[in-house]
Amino acid sequence: MTMRTQPKRTIWLACLILTLALPLAALAVENSDCLGCHADADTVGKTFRIDPVTFDTTAHAEVGCQECHASVTDKHPDDGATPSKANCQDCHDAIGAEYAGSNHHGNATCNDCHNPHVARGATAVSGVDMNRQCEGCHGNLDMVLKHAEWLPQADLHIAMLPCVSCHTASQDNVITMYIIKRSLTGDRKLATFAELKEQAGGKSIQSLIDRNEDNYISLAELRMFNLDSENHTLRLQGMITPEKVTHDFRTLDNRWDCSFCHASGPAARQTSFVSLIQEDGSYLRIAAEKGAVMDALYGTPDFYMVGATRSKMLDYIGMVIIAGGMVMPIGHGTLRFLTRKNRQHKEEE
Amino acid sequence: METTNKVYLQPTPVRIWHWLNAFGIITLIVTGAQIRFPEYISLLTSYKSAILLHNTAGLMVAVSFSLWFFYYGLVARSIRKIYVPTKDDLQFGILRQAKFYLLTYFLGWKNPHHATPDDKFNPMQKSAYMAIMFVLMPLVALTGILLTNVSPLRELVILVGGLKLLVAAHFLLACSLCAFLFTHVYLATLGKTPMAYIKPMWTGWEEVEPGEHSHHTP
Repeated sequence: MTMRTQPKRTIWLACLILTLALPLAALAVENSDCLGCHADADTVGKTFRIDPVTFDTTAHAEVGCQECHASVTDKHPDDGATPSKANCQDCHDAIGAEYAGSNHHGNATCNDCHNPHVARGATAVSGVDMNRQCEGCHGNLDMVLKHAEWLPQADLHIAMLPCVSCHTASQDNVITMYIIKRSLTGDRKLATFAELKEQAGGKSIQSLIDRNEDNYISLAELRMFNLDSENHTLRLQGMITPEKVTHDFRTLDNRWDCSFCHASGPAARQTSFVSLIQEDGSYLRIAAEKGAVMDALYGTPDFYMVGATRSKMLDYIGMVIIAGGMVMPIGHGTLRFLTRKNRQHKEEE
Repeated sequence: METTNKVYLQPTPVRIWHWLNAFGIITLIVTGAQIRFPEYISLLTSYKSAILLHNTAGLMVAVSFSLWFFYYGLVARSIRKIYVPTKDDLQFGILRQAKFYLLTYFLGWKNPHHATPDDKFNPMQKSAYMAIMFVLMPLVALTGILLTNVSPLRELVILVGGLKLLVAAHFLLACSLCAFLFTHVYLATLGKTPMAYIKPMWTGWEEVEPGEHSHHTP
Protein backbone atom coordinates (compact mmCIF):
# COMPACT_ATOMS: atom_id res chain seq x y z
CA MET A 1 0.00 0.00 0.00
CA THR A 2 2.64 2.53 1.04
CA MET A 3 4.78 1.59 -1.95
CA ARG A 4 1.93 2.41 -4.35
CA THR A 5 0.70 5.70 -2.76
CA GLN A 6 4.16 7.39 -2.59
CA PRO A 7 4.68 8.01 -6.38
CA LYS A 8 1.04 9.02 -6.71
CA ARG A 9 1.44 11.72 -4.10
CA THR A 10 4.59 13.04 -5.78
CA ILE A 11 2.84 13.32 -9.15
CA TRP A 12 -0.08 15.19 -7.57
CA LEU A 13 2.32 17.61 -5.88
CA ALA A 14 4.20 18.25 -9.11
CA CYS A 15 0.95 18.97 -10.94
CA LEU A 16 -0.13 21.39 -8.23
CA ILE A 17 3.15 23.32 -8.42
CA LEU A 18 2.99 23.47 -12.20
CA THR A 19 -0.60 24.69 -12.15
CA LEU A 20 0.27 27.47 -9.73
CA ALA A 21 3.57 28.44 -11.34
CA LEU A 22 2.50 28.48 -14.99
CA PRO A 23 0.48 31.71 -14.85
CA LEU A 24 3.29 33.37 -12.89
CA ALA A 25 5.84 32.30 -15.48
CA ALA A 26 3.62 33.64 -18.21
CA LEU A 27 3.41 36.95 -16.36
CA ALA A 28 7.20 37.32 -15.75
CA VAL A 29 8.78 39.78 -18.19
CA GLU A 30 12.37 39.17 -19.10
CA ASN A 31 14.86 42.04 -19.72
CA SER A 32 15.15 40.83 -23.29
CA ASP A 33 11.36 41.23 -23.73
CA CYS A 34 11.65 44.91 -22.78
CA LEU A 35 14.82 45.56 -24.74
CA GLY A 36 13.21 44.04 -27.82
CA CYS A 37 11.53 47.42 -28.22
CA HIS A 38 13.45 49.72 -25.84
CA ALA A 39 16.82 49.18 -27.54
CA ASP A 40 15.44 50.80 -30.65
CA ALA A 41 15.00 54.57 -30.65
CA ASP A 42 12.78 54.42 -33.76
CA THR A 43 10.25 52.28 -31.91
CA VAL A 44 10.19 53.95 -28.47
CA GLY A 45 11.75 57.35 -29.12
CA LYS A 46 15.05 58.70 -27.80
CA THR A 47 13.75 59.36 -24.29
CA PHE A 48 12.84 55.74 -23.64
CA ARG A 49 15.71 54.18 -25.52
CA ILE A 50 18.03 52.04 -23.42
CA ASP A 51 21.47 51.03 -24.62
CA PRO A 52 21.41 47.25 -24.09
CA VAL A 53 25.20 46.89 -23.97
CA THR A 54 25.62 49.53 -21.28
CA PHE A 55 22.54 48.42 -19.34
CA ASP A 56 23.80 44.86 -19.31
CA THR A 57 26.89 45.92 -17.32
CA THR A 58 24.88 47.57 -14.56
CA ALA A 59 23.82 45.93 -11.33
CA HIS A 60 20.28 47.03 -12.20
CA ALA A 61 20.26 44.64 -15.16
CA GLU A 62 20.80 41.76 -12.76
CA VAL A 63 17.81 42.88 -10.73
CA GLY A 64 15.67 42.96 -13.86
CA CYS A 65 13.42 45.56 -15.48
CA GLN A 66 10.31 44.43 -13.72
CA GLU A 67 11.75 44.77 -10.28
CA CYS A 68 11.63 48.55 -10.69
CA HIS A 69 8.77 48.75 -13.19
CA ALA A 70 6.50 46.32 -11.38
CA SER A 71 3.25 47.40 -12.98
CA VAL A 72 4.36 46.51 -16.48
CA THR A 73 2.57 43.48 -17.89
CA ASP A 74 2.78 41.76 -21.22
CA LYS A 75 -0.06 44.07 -22.31
CA HIS A 76 2.38 47.03 -22.23
CA PRO A 77 2.16 49.43 -24.03
CA ASP A 78 -1.28 48.53 -25.44
CA ASP A 79 -2.89 48.84 -22.01
CA GLY A 80 -2.08 52.55 -22.06
CA ALA A 81 -0.98 52.41 -18.42
CA THR A 82 2.06 54.42 -17.37
CA PRO A 83 4.62 51.97 -15.99
CA SER A 84 5.38 52.37 -12.33
CA LYS A 85 8.86 53.35 -11.20
CA ALA A 86 10.48 52.06 -8.08
CA ASN A 87 11.70 54.38 -5.43
CA CYS A 88 15.53 54.22 -5.33
CA GLN A 89 15.44 54.13 -1.54
CA ASP A 90 13.55 50.84 -1.66
CA CYS A 91 16.92 49.21 -2.26
CA HIS A 92 19.37 52.01 -1.51
CA ASP A 93 17.90 53.02 1.81
CA ALA A 94 21.21 53.71 3.53
CA ILE A 95 22.38 55.97 0.70
CA GLY A 96 18.98 57.68 0.71
CA ALA A 97 19.27 58.45 4.41
CA GLU A 98 22.82 59.75 3.97
CA TYR A 99 21.80 61.90 1.01
CA ALA A 100 18.85 63.34 2.91
CA GLY A 101 21.34 64.94 5.29
CA SER A 102 23.41 66.54 2.53
CA ASN A 103 23.02 70.00 1.09
CA HIS A 104 22.26 68.43 -2.29
CA HIS A 105 19.01 67.08 -0.92
CA GLY A 106 16.15 69.18 -2.21
CA ASN A 107 18.24 70.43 -5.12
CA ALA A 108 18.63 67.22 -7.07
CA THR A 109 16.84 63.89 -7.10
CA CYS A 110 18.67 60.59 -7.57
CA ASN A 111 17.75 60.57 -11.25
CA ASP A 112 19.16 64.06 -11.81
CA CYS A 113 22.63 62.60 -11.32
CA HIS A 114 22.19 58.88 -11.95
CA ASN A 115 20.52 57.26 -14.91
CA PRO A 116 19.63 53.84 -13.47
CA HIS A 117 20.01 52.25 -16.90
CA VAL A 118 23.61 53.44 -17.13
CA ALA A 119 24.79 53.69 -13.50
CA ARG A 120 27.86 51.65 -12.66
CA GLY A 121 29.93 51.27 -9.54
CA ALA A 122 32.50 53.93 -8.69
CA THR A 123 35.47 51.83 -9.74
CA ALA A 124 33.88 50.84 -13.06
CA VAL A 125 33.76 54.40 -14.36
CA SER A 126 36.54 56.84 -15.16
CA GLY A 127 37.28 59.91 -13.07
CA VAL A 128 36.14 62.03 -15.99
CA ASP A 129 32.81 60.17 -16.05
CA MET A 130 32.39 60.72 -12.31
CA ASN A 131 32.50 64.46 -12.90
CA ARG A 132 29.76 64.30 -15.55
CA GLN A 133 27.21 63.87 -12.74
CA CYS A 134 28.41 67.14 -11.20
CA GLU A 135 28.79 69.13 -14.42
CA GLY A 136 25.03 68.98 -15.01
CA CYS A 137 24.60 71.71 -12.40
CA HIS A 138 28.12 72.91 -11.61
CA GLY A 139 29.55 74.50 -14.75
CA ASN A 140 33.30 74.11 -15.24
CA LEU A 141 34.13 77.82 -15.48
CA ASP A 142 32.05 78.65 -12.41
CA MET A 143 33.81 75.96 -10.44
CA VAL A 144 37.28 77.05 -11.56
CA LEU A 145 36.53 80.65 -10.53
CA LYS A 146 35.00 79.63 -7.22
CA HIS A 147 37.90 77.33 -6.32
CA ALA A 148 40.48 79.86 -7.53
CA GLU A 149 39.44 82.09 -4.62
CA TRP A 150 41.52 79.85 -2.37
CA LEU A 151 42.94 76.93 -4.36
CA PRO A 152 46.25 77.33 -6.22
CA GLN A 153 46.17 75.90 -9.77
CA ALA A 154 42.35 75.71 -9.57
CA ASP A 155 41.94 74.98 -13.29
CA LEU A 156 44.40 72.11 -13.09
CA HIS A 157 42.74 70.64 -10.00
CA ILE A 158 39.28 70.85 -11.56
CA ALA A 159 40.50 69.26 -14.79
CA MET A 160 42.54 66.52 -13.18
CA LEU A 161 40.46 65.41 -10.21
CA PRO A 162 37.05 63.88 -9.71
CA CYS A 163 35.07 66.34 -7.56
CA VAL A 164 34.32 63.50 -5.14
CA SER A 165 38.00 63.14 -4.27
CA CYS A 166 37.48 66.07 -1.91
CA HIS A 167 33.70 66.29 -1.64
CA THR A 168 33.13 62.95 -0.02
CA ALA A 169 33.64 61.38 3.36
CA SER A 170 35.94 58.72 1.90
CA GLN A 171 39.06 58.60 4.06
CA ASP A 172 41.16 56.75 1.55
CA ASN A 173 42.16 57.95 -1.86
CA VAL A 174 44.16 56.00 -4.41
CA ILE A 175 45.91 56.93 -7.62
CA THR A 176 44.12 55.72 -10.71
CA MET A 177 45.75 56.03 -14.10
CA TYR A 178 43.82 56.25 -17.35
CA ILE A 179 45.06 56.02 -20.91
CA ILE A 180 44.77 59.33 -22.74
CA LYS A 181 44.98 59.62 -26.50
CA ARG A 182 46.25 62.64 -28.35
CA SER A 183 44.30 63.36 -31.49
CA LEU A 184 45.79 64.85 -34.66
CA THR A 185 44.46 68.24 -33.60
CA GLY A 186 46.27 67.98 -30.27
CA ASP A 187 43.22 67.27 -28.11
CA ARG A 188 43.80 64.88 -25.26
CA LYS A 189 40.89 62.69 -24.29
CA LEU A 190 40.34 59.35 -22.62
CA ALA A 191 41.16 56.72 -25.24
CA THR A 192 38.11 54.84 -26.48
CA PHE A 193 37.97 51.07 -26.61
CA ALA A 194 38.08 51.14 -30.43
CA GLU A 195 41.22 53.31 -30.40
CA LEU A 196 43.00 51.02 -27.97
CA LYS A 197 41.85 47.94 -29.88
CA GLU A 198 43.35 49.36 -33.03
CA GLN A 199 46.56 50.18 -31.17
CA ALA A 200 46.76 46.65 -29.75
CA GLY A 201 46.54 45.26 -33.28
CA GLY A 202 44.71 42.02 -32.66
CA LYS A 203 45.95 41.48 -29.11
CA SER A 204 43.92 42.32 -26.02
CA ILE A 205 44.03 45.97 -25.01
CA GLN A 206 45.25 44.93 -21.58
CA SER A 207 48.45 43.68 -23.25
CA LEU A 208 49.21 47.28 -24.28
CA ILE A 209 50.30 47.95 -20.73
CA ASP A 210 50.07 44.68 -18.81
CA ARG A 211 52.42 42.92 -21.22
CA ASN A 212 52.37 39.53 -19.55
CA GLU A 213 48.64 39.88 -18.79
CA ASP A 214 49.02 38.75 -15.21
CA ASN A 215 46.53 41.38 -14.01
CA TYR A 216 49.32 43.23 -12.25
CA ILE A 217 51.20 46.17 -13.66
CA SER A 218 54.81 46.36 -12.63
CA LEU A 219 56.98 49.44 -12.60
CA ALA A 220 58.83 48.05 -15.63
CA GLU A 221 55.58 47.63 -17.54
CA LEU A 222 54.57 51.21 -16.71
CA ARG A 223 57.89 52.48 -18.03
CA MET A 224 57.73 50.34 -21.14
CA PHE A 225 54.29 51.67 -21.95
CA ASN A 226 55.47 55.26 -21.75
CA LEU A 227 58.69 54.74 -23.63
CA ASP A 228 57.29 52.51 -26.37
CA SER A 229 57.37 54.60 -29.55
CA GLU A 230 54.42 52.57 -30.87
CA ASN A 231 52.33 54.22 -28.17
CA HIS A 232 53.47 57.76 -28.84
CA THR A 233 49.90 59.08 -29.11
CA LEU A 234 48.97 57.43 -25.82
CA ARG A 235 49.81 58.60 -22.35
CA LEU A 236 48.94 57.67 -18.83
CA GLN A 237 47.20 60.30 -16.79
CA GLY A 238 46.93 59.91 -13.07
CA MET A 239 43.98 60.98 -10.95
CA ILE A 240 43.38 60.82 -7.25
CA THR A 241 40.16 58.89 -6.82
CA PRO A 242 38.24 58.01 -3.66
CA GLU A 243 38.05 54.37 -2.68
CA LYS A 244 34.53 54.81 -1.40
CA VAL A 245 32.03 57.33 -2.70
CA THR A 246 29.60 58.64 -0.15
CA HIS A 247 26.49 60.70 -0.73
CA ASP A 248 26.83 63.26 2.02
CA PHE A 249 29.22 65.35 -0.13
CA ARG A 250 30.94 66.53 2.98
CA THR A 251 34.34 68.14 2.53
CA LEU A 252 36.42 66.61 5.28
CA ASP A 253 38.68 69.02 7.15
CA ASN A 254 41.81 67.25 5.92
CA ARG A 255 40.90 68.06 2.29
CA TRP A 256 41.50 71.77 2.97
CA ASP A 257 45.07 70.91 3.84
CA CYS A 258 47.08 70.72 0.63
CA SER A 259 49.57 68.34 2.17
CA PHE A 260 46.78 65.73 2.45
CA CYS A 261 47.71 64.92 -1.14
CA HIS A 262 50.94 66.86 -1.64
CA ALA A 263 53.12 65.12 0.88
CA SER A 264 54.79 61.77 0.74
CA GLY A 265 54.04 59.15 3.28
CA PRO A 266 50.37 58.30 3.62
CA ALA A 267 50.08 54.63 2.76
CA ALA A 268 46.89 55.09 0.78
CA ARG A 269 48.60 57.06 -1.92
CA GLN A 270 51.18 54.35 -2.43
CA THR A 271 48.31 52.35 -3.90
CA SER A 272 47.73 52.79 -7.57
CA PHE A 273 45.73 51.23 -10.37
CA VAL A 274 45.54 51.42 -14.11
CA SER A 275 41.91 51.63 -15.18
CA LEU A 276 41.27 50.22 -18.64
CA ILE A 277 38.19 50.84 -20.72
CA GLN A 278 36.26 47.70 -21.70
CA GLU A 279 34.24 46.98 -24.81
CA ASP A 280 30.99 47.84 -23.01
CA GLY A 281 32.35 51.23 -21.93
CA SER A 282 32.93 50.27 -18.32
CA TYR A 283 36.38 50.44 -16.73
CA LEU A 284 38.40 47.63 -15.24
CA ARG A 285 40.94 48.40 -12.55
CA ILE A 286 44.25 46.56 -12.64
CA ALA A 287 46.51 46.88 -9.62
CA ALA A 288 49.88 48.53 -10.18
CA GLU A 289 53.06 47.91 -8.23
CA LYS A 290 53.05 49.57 -4.79
CA GLY A 291 54.56 53.00 -4.94
CA ALA A 292 54.95 52.64 -8.68
CA VAL A 293 54.03 56.17 -9.63
CA MET A 294 56.01 57.62 -6.77
CA ASP A 295 59.45 56.77 -8.03
CA ALA A 296 59.10 56.20 -11.75
CA LEU A 297 60.48 59.30 -13.42
CA TYR A 298 59.12 58.19 -16.76
CA GLY A 299 56.23 56.28 -15.27
CA THR A 300 53.64 58.97 -15.56
CA PRO A 301 55.15 62.10 -17.04
CA ASP A 302 51.84 63.96 -16.86
CA PHE A 303 51.18 63.16 -13.25
CA TYR A 304 52.99 64.97 -10.52
CA MET A 305 51.91 65.83 -7.05
CA VAL A 306 54.85 67.59 -5.50
CA GLY A 307 55.79 65.68 -2.40
CA ALA A 308 53.93 62.46 -2.85
CA THR A 309 55.40 61.69 -6.23
CA ARG A 310 58.81 63.23 -5.82
CA SER A 311 61.86 61.18 -6.69
CA LYS A 312 64.16 60.39 -3.77
CA MET A 313 67.15 60.16 -6.09
CA LEU A 314 66.61 63.79 -7.15
CA ASP A 315 66.40 64.83 -3.51
CA TYR A 316 69.85 63.33 -2.91
CA ILE A 317 71.33 64.97 -6.02
CA GLY A 318 69.87 68.31 -4.91
CA MET A 319 71.35 67.93 -1.45
CA VAL A 320 74.77 67.14 -2.93
CA ILE A 321 74.58 70.31 -5.08
CA ILE A 322 73.66 72.45 -2.05
CA ALA A 323 76.41 70.81 0.02
CA GLY A 324 78.79 71.64 -2.85
CA GLY A 325 77.89 75.31 -2.36
CA MET A 326 78.94 75.05 1.27
CA VAL A 327 82.41 73.74 0.44
CA MET A 328 83.68 77.23 -0.29
CA PRO A 329 82.39 78.92 2.89
CA ILE A 330 83.38 76.04 5.16
CA GLY A 331 86.69 75.00 3.54
CA HIS A 332 87.91 78.46 2.61
CA GLY A 333 86.53 79.92 5.82
CA THR A 334 88.50 77.45 7.93
CA LEU A 335 91.76 78.17 6.10
CA ARG A 336 90.99 81.88 6.30
CA PHE A 337 90.63 81.64 10.05
CA LEU A 338 93.85 79.64 10.40
CA THR A 339 95.84 82.09 8.26
CA ARG A 340 94.33 85.29 9.67
CA LYS A 341 97.72 86.34 11.07
CA ASN A 342 99.24 86.49 7.59
CA ARG A 343 96.80 89.17 6.56
CA GLN A 344 97.23 91.12 9.80
CA HIS A 345 101.01 91.18 9.23
CA LYS A 346 100.52 92.49 5.70
CA GLU A 347 98.17 95.18 7.02
CA GLU A 348 100.79 96.28 9.53
CA GLU A 349 103.47 96.37 6.83
CA MET B 1 96.37 110.25 9.38
CA GLU B 2 95.19 107.98 6.62
CA THR B 3 92.51 109.48 4.41
CA THR B 4 90.04 107.25 2.67
CA ASN B 5 88.67 107.80 -0.79
CA LYS B 6 85.15 106.86 -1.63
CA VAL B 7 84.03 105.43 -4.94
CA TYR B 8 80.39 105.42 -5.93
CA LEU B 9 80.27 101.80 -7.06
CA GLN B 10 76.62 100.78 -6.91
CA PRO B 11 73.98 103.20 -8.23
CA THR B 12 70.61 103.29 -6.45
CA PRO B 13 68.63 101.26 -9.08
CA VAL B 14 71.22 98.49 -8.91
CA ARG B 15 71.03 98.38 -5.12
CA ILE B 16 67.24 98.30 -5.10
CA TRP B 17 67.35 95.57 -7.76
CA HIS B 18 69.92 93.57 -5.78
CA TRP B 19 68.04 93.61 -2.49
CA LEU B 20 64.68 92.94 -4.10
CA ASN B 21 66.29 89.92 -5.73
CA ALA B 22 67.89 88.87 -2.46
CA PHE B 23 64.59 89.12 -0.62
CA GLY B 24 62.77 87.35 -3.46
CA ILE B 25 65.29 84.54 -3.82
CA ILE B 26 65.46 83.81 -0.08
CA THR B 27 61.65 83.72 0.00
CA LEU B 28 61.72 81.35 -2.97
CA ILE B 29 64.21 79.03 -1.28
CA VAL B 30 62.29 78.87 1.99
CA THR B 31 58.86 78.42 0.41
CA GLY B 32 60.25 76.09 -2.25
CA ALA B 33 61.72 73.86 0.45
CA GLN B 34 58.33 73.71 2.17
CA ILE B 35 56.55 72.92 -1.10
CA ARG B 36 58.90 70.03 -1.85
CA PHE B 37 59.26 68.72 1.68
CA PRO B 38 55.98 69.59 3.44
CA GLU B 39 56.32 66.69 5.85
CA TYR B 40 59.60 68.10 7.20
CA ILE B 41 59.36 71.87 6.73
CA SER B 42 56.47 74.01 7.90
CA LEU B 43 57.88 77.52 8.26
CA LEU B 44 54.72 78.97 6.81
CA THR B 45 51.52 78.06 8.56
CA SER B 46 49.99 76.35 5.56
CA TYR B 47 51.15 74.67 2.39
CA LYS B 48 48.73 76.84 0.45
CA SER B 49 50.33 80.05 1.68
CA ALA B 50 53.76 78.62 0.83
CA ILE B 51 52.59 78.08 -2.76
CA LEU B 52 51.03 81.53 -3.06
CA LEU B 53 54.12 83.22 -1.64
CA HIS B 54 56.42 81.12 -3.83
CA ASN B 55 54.46 82.03 -6.95
CA THR B 56 54.38 85.72 -6.04
CA ALA B 57 58.10 85.86 -5.22
CA GLY B 58 58.86 83.90 -8.40
CA LEU B 59 56.93 86.37 -10.49
CA MET B 60 58.68 89.27 -8.78
CA VAL B 61 62.15 87.82 -9.40
CA ALA B 62 61.24 86.96 -13.01
CA VAL B 63 60.09 90.55 -13.61
CA SER B 64 63.20 91.87 -11.90
CA PHE B 65 65.33 89.59 -14.07
CA SER B 66 63.59 90.87 -17.20
CA LEU B 67 64.22 94.47 -16.10
CA TRP B 68 67.90 93.66 -15.63
CA PHE B 69 68.10 92.08 -19.05
CA PHE B 70 66.20 94.93 -20.66
CA TYR B 71 68.31 97.60 -18.97
CA TYR B 72 71.80 96.15 -19.41
CA GLY B 73 71.09 94.51 -22.74
CA LEU B 74 69.06 97.14 -24.54
CA VAL B 75 69.33 100.47 -22.70
CA ALA B 76 72.87 100.60 -21.32
CA ARG B 77 74.16 98.03 -23.84
CA SER B 78 76.84 97.09 -21.34
CA ILE B 79 75.81 93.48 -20.80
CA ARG B 80 78.73 92.17 -22.84
CA LYS B 81 81.26 94.44 -21.16
CA ILE B 82 80.18 93.66 -17.63
CA TYR B 83 79.27 89.99 -17.84
CA VAL B 84 81.10 88.34 -20.74
CA PRO B 85 84.70 87.31 -19.95
CA THR B 86 87.31 88.68 -22.37
CA LYS B 87 89.90 86.54 -24.12
CA ASP B 88 92.45 87.73 -21.56
CA ASP B 89 90.08 86.81 -18.74
CA LEU B 90 89.73 83.29 -20.07
CA GLN B 91 93.43 82.81 -20.78
CA PHE B 92 94.96 84.34 -17.67
CA GLY B 93 92.37 86.17 -15.60
CA ILE B 94 90.44 83.19 -14.27
CA LEU B 95 93.62 81.39 -13.29
CA ARG B 96 95.02 84.52 -11.66
CA GLN B 97 91.83 85.03 -9.66
CA ALA B 98 91.61 81.35 -8.69
CA LYS B 99 95.21 81.49 -7.52
CA PHE B 100 94.32 84.47 -5.35
CA TYR B 101 91.29 82.82 -3.74
CA LEU B 102 92.94 79.46 -3.22
CA LEU B 103 96.48 80.47 -2.30
CA THR B 104 97.71 84.05 -2.19
CA TYR B 105 94.70 85.31 -0.19
CA PHE B 106 95.86 83.11 2.69
CA LEU B 107 99.35 84.58 2.39
CA GLY B 108 97.91 88.05 2.77
CA TRP B 109 98.36 89.25 -0.82
CA LYS B 110 96.05 91.81 -2.34
CA ASN B 111 93.20 91.00 -4.71
CA PRO B 112 94.58 91.17 -8.27
CA HIS B 113 91.30 92.64 -9.52
CA HIS B 114 90.32 96.21 -8.77
CA ALA B 115 86.68 96.93 -9.41
CA THR B 116 85.54 100.17 -11.00
CA PRO B 117 81.97 101.11 -11.87
CA ASP B 118 82.77 100.11 -15.47
CA ASP B 119 84.60 96.93 -14.63
CA LYS B 120 82.82 95.56 -11.62
CA PHE B 121 83.56 91.87 -11.83
CA ASN B 122 86.74 89.88 -11.67
CA PRO B 123 87.21 87.17 -14.36
CA MET B 124 85.86 84.41 -12.11
CA GLN B 125 82.85 86.49 -11.18
CA LYS B 126 82.13 87.21 -14.83
CA SER B 127 82.10 83.50 -15.63
CA ALA B 128 79.99 82.65 -12.58
CA TYR B 129 77.50 85.46 -13.17
CA MET B 130 77.29 84.60 -16.84
CA ALA B 131 76.24 81.05 -15.94
CA ILE B 132 73.83 82.36 -13.29
CA MET B 133 72.25 85.17 -15.30
CA PHE B 134 72.23 83.64 -18.76
CA VAL B 135 71.59 79.98 -17.96
CA LEU B 136 70.33 79.22 -14.44
CA MET B 137 68.05 82.22 -13.86
CA PRO B 138 66.26 82.11 -17.22
CA LEU B 139 65.80 78.35 -16.96
CA VAL B 140 64.53 78.37 -13.39
CA ALA B 141 62.14 81.20 -14.28
CA LEU B 142 60.89 79.51 -17.45
CA THR B 143 60.34 76.15 -15.74
CA GLY B 144 58.58 78.02 -12.92
CA ILE B 145 56.30 79.86 -15.35
CA LEU B 146 55.39 76.56 -17.02
CA LEU B 147 54.71 74.95 -13.65
CA THR B 148 52.39 77.75 -12.53
CA ASN B 149 50.42 77.53 -15.79
CA VAL B 150 50.20 73.82 -16.46
CA SER B 151 46.65 73.87 -17.83
CA PRO B 152 46.98 76.73 -20.34
CA LEU B 153 50.50 75.70 -21.37
CA ARG B 154 49.84 71.94 -21.37
CA GLU B 155 51.14 71.35 -24.90
CA LEU B 156 54.36 73.15 -24.07
CA VAL B 157 54.73 71.21 -20.82
CA ILE B 158 54.43 67.92 -22.70
CA LEU B 159 56.73 69.17 -25.45
CA VAL B 160 59.55 69.74 -22.97
CA GLY B 161 59.16 66.24 -21.56
CA GLY B 162 56.25 66.34 -19.14
CA LEU B 163 55.65 67.58 -15.63
CA LYS B 164 58.10 65.26 -13.92
CA LEU B 165 61.04 66.37 -16.02
CA LEU B 166 60.02 69.99 -15.55
CA VAL B 167 59.76 69.67 -11.78
CA ALA B 168 63.09 67.82 -11.66
CA ALA B 169 64.78 70.57 -13.71
CA HIS B 170 63.22 73.35 -11.61
CA PHE B 171 64.34 71.64 -8.39
CA LEU B 172 67.93 70.98 -9.52
CA LEU B 173 68.31 74.51 -10.94
CA ALA B 174 67.01 75.92 -7.66
CA CYS B 175 69.49 73.77 -5.71
CA SER B 176 72.30 75.10 -7.92
CA LEU B 177 71.22 78.70 -7.27
CA CYS B 178 70.98 77.95 -3.57
CA ALA B 179 74.54 76.52 -3.67
CA PHE B 180 75.70 79.67 -5.44
CA LEU B 181 74.06 81.81 -2.76
CA PHE B 182 76.26 80.32 -0.04
CA THR B 183 79.40 81.00 -2.07
CA HIS B 184 78.13 84.47 -3.01
CA VAL B 185 77.48 85.50 0.58
CA TYR B 186 80.80 84.04 1.74
CA LEU B 187 82.80 85.81 -0.98
CA ALA B 188 81.06 89.05 0.00
CA THR B 189 82.85 88.86 3.34
CA LEU B 190 86.33 88.57 1.79
CA GLY B 191 87.02 92.32 1.75
CA LYS B 192 89.42 94.16 3.99
CA THR B 193 86.84 93.83 6.69
CA PRO B 194 83.95 91.34 6.50
CA MET B 195 81.49 94.17 5.76
CA ALA B 196 83.73 96.04 3.29
CA TYR B 197 82.02 94.62 0.21
CA ILE B 198 78.57 94.35 1.69
CA LYS B 199 78.32 98.02 2.68
CA PRO B 200 78.59 99.40 -0.88
CA MET B 201 75.64 97.27 -1.92
CA TRP B 202 73.66 99.05 0.79
CA THR B 203 75.06 102.62 0.63
CA GLY B 204 76.48 102.68 -2.90
CA TRP B 205 79.90 103.89 -1.74
CA GLU B 206 83.00 101.80 -1.33
CA GLU B 207 85.86 103.01 0.79
CA VAL B 208 89.23 102.54 -0.87
CA GLU B 209 92.73 103.20 0.32
CA PRO B 210 94.54 106.25 -1.13
CA GLY B 211 96.07 105.61 -4.51
CA GLU B 212 94.03 102.48 -5.05
CA HIS B 213 90.90 101.73 -6.99
CA SER B 214 87.99 99.99 -5.46
CA HIS B 215 88.07 96.27 -4.78
CA HIS B 216 85.80 93.84 -6.43
CA THR B 217 82.27 93.25 -5.37
CA PRO B 218 81.09 89.68 -4.89
